Amino acid sequence: MQNINDYKIHPREVADKSSKEVLRKAIRLALDTETDALRLNTQTFNTNKYKTIQRLADYEGLKDRARRIKEESIENRPGLVGKLTNTIRARGGEVFLAKSGKEAADYVRNVCLSHDAKLIVKAKSITSEEIGLNHELLNAGIEVAETDLAEFILQVSREQPSHIVAPAIHRSRESISELFKRNFRTDRLLETGEELTEFARDILRKKFLSADVGITGANLIAAEEGALLLVESEGNIRLTTQLPAVHIAIAGIEKVIASKKDFGVFIELLAASGTGQALTSYTNILQPPIDSPVLNLNGREDREREFYLVLVDNGRTKMREDEDLKEALYCIRCSACMNSCANFQAVGGHAFGGECYTGGIGGAWTLGTSGSLEKARFAELCTGCSRCVPNCPVKIDIPRLNTAIKNRLTKAAGGPSTQQRFFGHFADLARLAEVAPRISNKVNNLAITRVLMENVVGVDKRRSIPSFANETLEKQYRRYRINNKPASVTKSTFSHTVLFADVFTNYNNPEVGMSTVRVFDKLGLPIALSEVLDDGRGLQSQGLVEKAEQRARKLAAYLEKLIDEGKEIIVAEPSVLSMFRRDYEKLLDNNELFGKIAKHSFDPIEYLNGLIVNGSLDLSKHLIKPQSPFHRIFYHAHCQLKTIGGGNVTPEFFRRVGFTVDISNVECCGMAGSFGYKKEYYDISKRVGDDLISQINATLSLDKGTVLLASGTSCREQIGSEISATVYHPMEFLDTLVA
Amino acid sequence: MLDDTVNGLVAQFLESAHAAAATAETVGRNAEDLNASLLLATADDTFVLFSQPDDLDPMLFHLFLQNPRVITSPTKEQLSSVEAGVTDAFCGIASTGSVCVSITKSLTSPISILTRKHIVVVDSDTIVPRPRDVFSEIYLGGKGLSRSFSFITGPSATADMGPLVRGVHGPGKLHIIVLL
Repeated sequence: MQNINDYKIHPREVADKSSKEVLRKAIRLALDTETDALRLNTQTFNTNKYKTIQRLADYEGLKDRARRIKEESIENRPGLVGKLTNTIRARGGEVFLAKSGKEAADYVRNVCLSHDAKLIVKAKSITSEEIGLNHELLNAGIEVAETDLAEFILQVSREQPSHIVAPAIHRSRESISELFKRNFRTDRLLETGEELTEFARDILRKKFLSADVGITGANLIAAEEGALLLVESEGNIRLTTQLPAVHIAIAGIEKVIASKKDFGVFIELLAASGTGQALTSYTNILQPPIDSPVLNLNGREDREREFYLVLVDNGRTKMREDEDLKEALYCIRCSACMNSCANFQAVGGHAFGGECYTGGIGGAWTLGTSGSLEKARFAELCTGCSRCVPNCPVKIDIPRLNTAIKNRLTKAAGGPSTQQRFFGHFADLARLAEVAPRISNKVNNLAITRVLMENVVGVDKRRSIPSFANETLEKQYRRYRINNKPASVTKSTFSHTVLFADVFTNYNNPEVGMSTVRVFDKLGLPIALSEVLDDGRGLQSQGLVEKAEQRARKLAAYLEKLIDEGKEIIVAEPSVLSMFRRDYEKLLDNNELFGKIAKHSFDPIEYLNGLIVNGSLDLSKHLIKPQSPFHRIFYHAHCQLKTIGGGNVTPEFFRRVGFTVDISNVECCGMAGSFGYKKEYYDISKRVGDDLISQINATLSLDKGTVLLASGTSCREQIGSEISATVYHPMEFLDTLVA
Repeated sequence: MLDDTVNGLVAQFLESAHAAAATAETVGRNAEDLNASLLLATADDTFVLFSQPDDLDPMLFHLFLQNPRVITSPTKEQLSSVEAGVTDAFCGIASTGSVCVSITKSLTSPISILTRKHIVVVDSDTIVPRPRDVFSEIYLGGKGLSRSFSFITGPSATADMGPLVRGVHGPGKLHIIVLL
C-alpha cells in the first residue's frame, strides 16, 4: 500500500463521481492506498456480524418486523411527522421541517447564531454531511468540532467518509499516526491506538467543556413519545447532548417511526448487523429537551435546556414516490451491505461511494438526495453478487436498486454502450460463434482481436475470453441419448427432471452438463435436456432491464410448460438458478409464476441431497471405491448460490460421501459474471480475487490431495486465471465417483 | 429467595457483562455488603462522585455516604476532573450485559459519562432477558417507555484509531454491582 497522506489524488477530488474518469481515479486511489485497512476492518465487522446474528433470538422474525415497521412508517409519514411535531412542541422543543438541504443548514446556522454560539460540538451525522452543514457554520464564523474520533480524523485530513458507520475505516493506525504528527505540534507520543485516542480525547474534552451548542443526528425518532434513538460507542453523543444546554438534532424525515415500543427491534438489529456487537457501548434513548441538569461547565449561564429537531426532506418525498428509490428509505444505515460486499471490502466508500453516501445502498441515496443520476455512477461497482441481500436487516434488495440506476444511466446516455451490448448479448454472440467455434476461439484470442476488444468493447486484454466448446451440450447430449436410451420408457416421459441448457453450459462448459446427465443416469434418475434459452442475466447485469424482462418472460413460459408436465428443473450454473429463485420475482412481475419456477428449480447436488435425505436415493450403492487421488475438497460457494440458501449443500453432500471439505470464506470470487472482464474493473476484480486465491494456495500447500470445486463458471475462470490446478464443477467431480 | 429463572438471568447477565469488557459482581441487598463492595471498588480513588439513586432505595447507600471521599454535590471543577463515580441503574439486560442508566434531574447520567471509572449498582430483580424487553409494558412497569436513558454496555470504546481502545470520551472502566 502507498501512503495515503502523500498520494497524488486526494479523496475529496474524487468524491463526486459524475464522470467516468473520476470513478477510474477513485478506484486507483483506493487500490493503491486503502485496501489493506478496509479489508481488515470490514471483514472483522462482517465476521463478527455472522457470529452475533446466530446468537440473536429470532433474527429472521426481527428482520420481518423491522421491515414492516419501516414500510408502515414510510406509508404513514405525513401523519407521523405531524404527531411528532406536536409531541415535541408540547414538551417545549421546536421542530423544523426543511424542504431542502440549504433550508436545513440555514435554520441550524440561525439557531446557533441566536444563541451566540462560537463553538459547536457535533456527533457523527451523515445527514449533516448531505446538507453541507459544517461549511455553512464555518462561513458564519462558528467553529465545529467533530467529536466522533473517526470524524475527527476526517476533519484533520479533510476527507469525506468512506463508510457509513466507521467513516475513517480506510485508514490504518500508521496512517493516522503520521497524519497527526504532520498536523499537530506536540511532544506527545502518537504511535499506539491508546496514545492516538488519548491525544484526540484530550483535545475534544476541552471542546466539550466549552461548547455552546451540541449537534447530533438520530438513528430513529418515535413520533408518539418524541423520542430519539442515538447509537454510539465512544460516549461523544452522550456528552454532546448533555453538556451544552442547547441540542440540535438533524435527521431525514424517513427516520420517524410510530412508537418507542419499536426501538427494541431496531437496537438489537443495528448493533448486530453493523459492528457485529450485541449492543454498542451506548444506546441512548432521549426524550428531549431532557431533564439532565444544566451544568454550564462551559461558563455560560444557560437556565434551561433547549431542543431543536430539524427534519430534512431534501428529495425524500420524491424518493417515496419513486417505485425503485422508495426501498432506500427503509435503510437504517447499519452498514451490513458494505461489510458483506466483496468489492466494498477492496475499495471502500471513496471509490464505491459519493460525497457522503457509500456502498451498495449509497447510489440510491446519492441519486435521491442530490437529484443527480450521474453522481450515482458508482452504483456500477455493484456486481449483483447479492451477498448484501440476506444481510440487510430491513430486507432491501440492493442489487435491484443498483440495476435500476444502471438502467437509468443507460437511458440517459441514449442507449447501451458497445460494452453493455457485448456482455448483455453474450447469449446471442455465443449462438453465432457456435457456427465455427474453432475459428471463433482463435480469432478471440488473437493479439489484434484482444486490442480491438479492449479498445472497442472494453474487455480487458489480460483476461482470456471464455472459449466456445467444439461441440455444444445440445449436440453432445443428442448423440449420447441415442446410445444411452433409458430402459422401458417412452421418449417424452422417461424423466422427472430436465437439465436446463443455459447459455454458458451449452456453449462454453458442455462437460458440466454432460457430467450432470451421466450422474443422473447412473443413479437411475434419467434426465432430459431443455432447449437452449437465454435467462436474461447478462442483460440485467448491464442494466438492460426491459430486454431482460422479455427474455425472462419467454423462458418462464417454457419452464412453466415443463413444470406442468411434472418435471423438476435442474440448473447447473448457479447464476442462472439464482435468476429463477430470486431475480425473476421482479423481472416476471408475476408472483404465481415466479413461485412455481422457484419451487421447482434445483441445483443438481441440492436435488440429489434432497433424495438422499428423504430416503429415495441410496448413494452408497453407486459409489466406486476411491480411484480418485483426492481425499480433500476445497469448495468455493458461488455468491448468488449462498444467497438463495444453497451454499452449504455441496459441502454437506461430499462430507457425507467421506471427504474432508474446506470452504472458502470470501463473499464473492470477484469475477462476478462480466464485471471482471471489463477493463475499468479488472484491477478491482483481481484484488477481490486475492483473498480466495490465497486461501486456495494455503490449502493446496497443506494437502496435495485437494481437489478444487466451484459451481459458478465465472468463479472457475477467476480461480483458473491464477491457479494451475484444474477447478471442477461439483458434478464433474461426482461423475468420477459414481457408477 | 431466587427462583431458577431469575438465577439464570443473573448468571447470563454476569457472563454477558464480562464479554462486553465490564467487571461485575453480586452482593447482598443490604447497606453493609454494598458498602464493602463500593469501598473495595473505589479503594484507589481520592474522591468519588456519587449521585442519589433514581430507582434504588437510598438507604442502601447510607453507610457508603459516610465515607469522606464521597462527593454528593460536586463543584464544576470536580465534575470535570474526579475520576470515579457511583450511580444506580434501573435495569440490566441478560443477553448483552447492559445496564440502563436514567437521564433525570439527578447527576446520574453526567457522572456515568464524565468519569473514567463508572461503578453502577443494579437490582437483580430488574434484569430482563433482552434489550427489546425494556420497551415492553410487561417489564419494569413500563419505565423504559416513559423516560430518557442510556443502555450502557461495557466501557466506552473505539476502533477508529486502528486497534480497539477502551476509554474514549466515556469511562474506560465499568464495574457493575448486582444486588441479590
